[in-house]
Amino acid sequence: MSTLESVLYGFEVALTWQNVMFVFIGVLAGTIIGMLPGLGPISAIAVMIPLSYGMPPSSALILMAGVYYGAIFGGSTSSVLLNAPGVASTVATTFDGYPLAQQGKAGKALAIAALSSFVGGTVATIGLMLIAPQLSKVALTFGPTEYFALMLLGLTAIASLSDGSSVKAFISATVGVMVATIGVDAQTGTQRFTFGSPKLFDGIDFLVIALGLFALAEVTQLIISRKESLFKSGSNIGSLKITKPEVKKMAGPVGRQSVLGFLIGVLPGAGATIASFLAYITEKRISKDPDSFGKGNVVGVAAPESANNAAAGGSFVPLLTLGIPGSGTTAIMLGALLVVGVQPGPMLLTDHPDVFWGVIASMYIGNVMLLILNLPLIPYFARILYIPKGMLISLILIFCLIGVYGVSFSQFDLYLLIIFGVIGYLMRLFSFPPAPFILAFILGGMMEQSFRQALTISNGSLRIFFDRPVSLALLIIAFASLFVPFLIQRITNRGKKAKTS
Amino acid sequence: MNMNKNFLTFVLILALTAILAACGDDNENENENENENSSEANSSVEADAWKPSKPIEFIAPAGAGGGWDTTARTVAKVLEEESIVDQRMAVVNKPGGGGAIGWSYINEKSTDEHLLFPTSPPIMFVPLNDQSDLGHKDFTPLAALTGDYAAFIVSADSPFDTMNDLVDAMKEDPSSVTVVGDSAPGSMDHMQFIKAVHAAGVDAKEVKFVSSQDGAGMTMLLGGQVDVYSTGVGEAVEQYRAGNIKVLGITSEERLTEDVVSEFPTLKEQGIDDVFIVWRGIMGPGDMSEESAAFYENALKEMTETDAWKEELERYGWEPNWMGSEEFSAFLDEQYDTIEELMIEIGLRN
Amino acid sequence: MLHTADRKVALVLMAISLVYLILSYQLPEFPYTQVDADMLPKSLGYLLLGLAVLLFIQNKPETEEQKAQRTIKKEDLMLMLITLVALLLYVFFLEMLGFVICTIIFLIFTMRMYGYLNWTRNVMVSFIFTFILYFSFNYLLNIFLPQGILPF
Repeated sequence: MSTLESVLYGFEVALTWQNVMFVFIGVLAGTIIGMLPGLGPISAIAVMIPLSYGMPPSSALILMAGVYYGAIFGGSTSSVLLNAPGVASTVATTFDGYPLAQQGKAGKALAIAALSSFVGGTVATIGLMLIAPQLSKVALTFGPTEYFALMLLGLTAIASLSDGSSVKAFISATVGVMVATIGVDAQTGTQRFTFGSPKLFDGIDFLVIALGLFALAEVTQLIISRKESLFKSGSNIGSLKITKPEVKKMAGPVGRQSVLGFLIGVLPGAGATIASFLAYITEKRISKDPDSFGKGNVVGVAAPESANNAAAGGSFVPLLTLGIPGSGTTAIMLGALLVVGVQPGPMLLTDHPDVFWGVIASMYIGNVMLLILNLPLIPYFARILYIPKGMLISLILIFCLIGVYGVSFSQFDLYLLIIFGVIGYLMRLFSFPPAPFILAFILGGMMEQSFRQALTISNGSLRIFFDRPVSLALLIIAFASLFVPFLIQRITNRGKKAKTS
Repeated sequence: MNMNKNFLTFVLILALTAILAACGDDNENENENENENSSEANSSVEADAWKPSKPIEFIAPAGAGGGWDTTARTVAKVLEEESIVDQRMAVVNKPGGGGAIGWSYINEKSTDEHLLFPTSPPIMFVPLNDQSDLGHKDFTPLAALTGDYAAFIVSADSPFDTMNDLVDAMKEDPSSVTVVGDSAPGSMDHMQFIKAVHAAGVDAKEVKFVSSQDGAGMTMLLGGQVDVYSTGVGEAVEQYRAGNIKVLGITSEERLTEDVVSEFPTLKEQGIDDVFIVWRGIMGPGDMSEESAAFYENALKEMTETDAWKEELERYGWEPNWMGSEEFSAFLDEQYDTIEELMIEIGLRN
Repeated sequence: MLHTADRKVALVLMAISLVYLILSYQLPEFPYTQVDADMLPKSLGYLLLGLAVLLFIQNKPETEEQKAQRTIKKEDLMLMLITLVALLLYVFFLEMLGFVICTIIFLIFTMRMYGYLNWTRNVMVSFIFTFILYFSFNYLLNIFLPQGILPF
């Protein structure tokens, strides 16, 4: 079959009324579950698995996929409105999304998130249609050395994530990696900083840190300002209006980051989180106006949102072409495929072309649906901010607690959540930025494991990082991105001084 | 006025969630109704002295979607739907610590007669690595239900064609072969490989093992970063059919019977005396009474004979491997000792 | 010497890094690996120590904005402490009394405390919010929140 024929065949599968309905149910369930802090795509899919018993395999996967990208799509809502990222891949969205909401532009921020997500999702779908099999081979060339280099590239962003003291940003990041070292070490089975408690063997959950450091710490701010109501109810916070210059400003970043996000999403294990962070950082770095990032720059919302949705699409490449789950979420989806009687694997395309092409085509339909579904609802979501602060604060607190409890079912994790809330508050007091902390927490752990895997493979020789071309290239970019900005700053400063004197 | 509006919006959002999830629940409700209808007609349960008198808590000591969770949900579903147990069975997830959190929760309720949980070899490996004070001896083994086997695979262009090729290379230069598994050293993926090559005479201390996360082991194997992947038969089948990998050996006693897997050579036929079963079973708390243990054992036995259970086996590709309570306990003790001895020998345990 | 906040923080960080380093040096050795589990912790410990010293030496004067951030009214501080205690009590009683009871009490109490004075709405919202959340989690999503002492 030629690609065109296959694509048409895919639409034939996806456009039966049952499957259209399943896409709809999937994306609707996904966005709504994704909006609740704590319930990310993994819980959303796990919830839907029983529903898929007895379904034809293509419908089942169409439903699951809808839930997955729906949840990523919806995840931005709580990040923007409440500073409560429920999924790691929407943390970067809070950096500018929440400030925008605070400025009374919640509707706009959500609209930008929705549109960028749509573009990201669509780019990913097209990518899947055209080059999925070829890309899967590229994904396989990524070994521990390449992952190490990629994580390092992500970590070089730390300096650019702080607007005050970079010493404080680095301290934040160091402590973030320290927290990531808690738990049983995968390479040796050694318990690190667990004090013998099984509750710490798996390390500290991302959610505990994200909700503590961001949402709970933000609650303290709301408490201080509790008497000033956020917005008068007459004000227009639900307005979706995006101006023309803004569209112009965002077009480039959204396009670039959709493609980049898709490519990063293809790599098993990297995925949406790294894609969204890299998107945010690169756009901040190459922006003419980097200082406006973190204070409500529209590009700061558009870039990570297009990247994380594109990456979610990209993660289907290894799943569908190789039968390898690229993330915890796709691993659960793989389990769901088993339930409906399909052996996921490299033979999927041959054995079940309806599943392969049907799912891809359905993603196109699902993305359109998400946009149509979400845009009109945005003004209503934004109204959450009209809830009187006294009430809002209490509800956010419960949301955070249940978000954590619903995943871990552990009182211990709730105490940890409170502790990280206090830490987040103290960091705020002494102007330590929380973003480097969470970035380092997410990347640091993976970076360490890749580094050590690589060295075991090479019998301890560091040359392995420079012998492999992709790894070498990534390392060079990482170092360049660390030092080039400094150099440019030096040069421009000198130029300025020369002029003024 | 405004307050009402805002409040309405909020309720609307929550209500939407509710409606939506309600669609998802239809299936289960139907099933429950069926149960009610048929439970009276059911007489196949022997009139044992003990019967559950309240809903049974089925603890999955892991998060949603994993192996234990699937086992718990499947067993609960069949027991309920086939009306073998009259009470509702609620699957509760207690994830964390590779099972240790769930086990300590169960141990706190050691006299509870309405508590079950699924297990597999990690209940030996986790305590053997000192990551749990509780092991299989602290619980009541009720029955083993299914079995899977370990598979050692290499990529299609690997120079190794048989397990003995690999063993020879490892004997010559252990640092030339990298083995990958999806969990830490001392855990099942690692030890099943160690056990096999140890039986073949390789110095097990020298084995170079890398642990990957999130199932990345297959990626590393196919990408040529590592030489051997220690995994399960189930994981190998599709890659084998696609011609991406070679299966060097599996740890069953005899060749398996189904079409594709029957092509996988066993270690035994290659002259390596090693068998390793990745069993799955059901256990109860340690101080469960004999009567209730007998009830559950019978119920599980009856379950394995239903068509619904056989369908589930087919669906997940599980091999039946029935062991009753007594046989299961003895088997566990024996396997525990074997592995402990091996771990002491290679210095992973004192 | 110590009058800037940064210096005090730097001292605390030094203490943390020392404790972390001591713990890192106690990590058991694993014989069969190229890079052992203690490599990263040790380097992180020294890195944090170095950064803390740097922070101490740097001793940047605070901007007005930063100072303002740290001056908190007594009333607000009290409220935050009460919030902290309320959260701890909530978690402590959650599994004992169950989600429904704890959440309703928590919501009614904290809303009142944060200055939401309309009793009727307060109680109404607390009840409806809690019940919707509880039933959608337990019965629709099959994610079981603690039942506690209530029979449902």
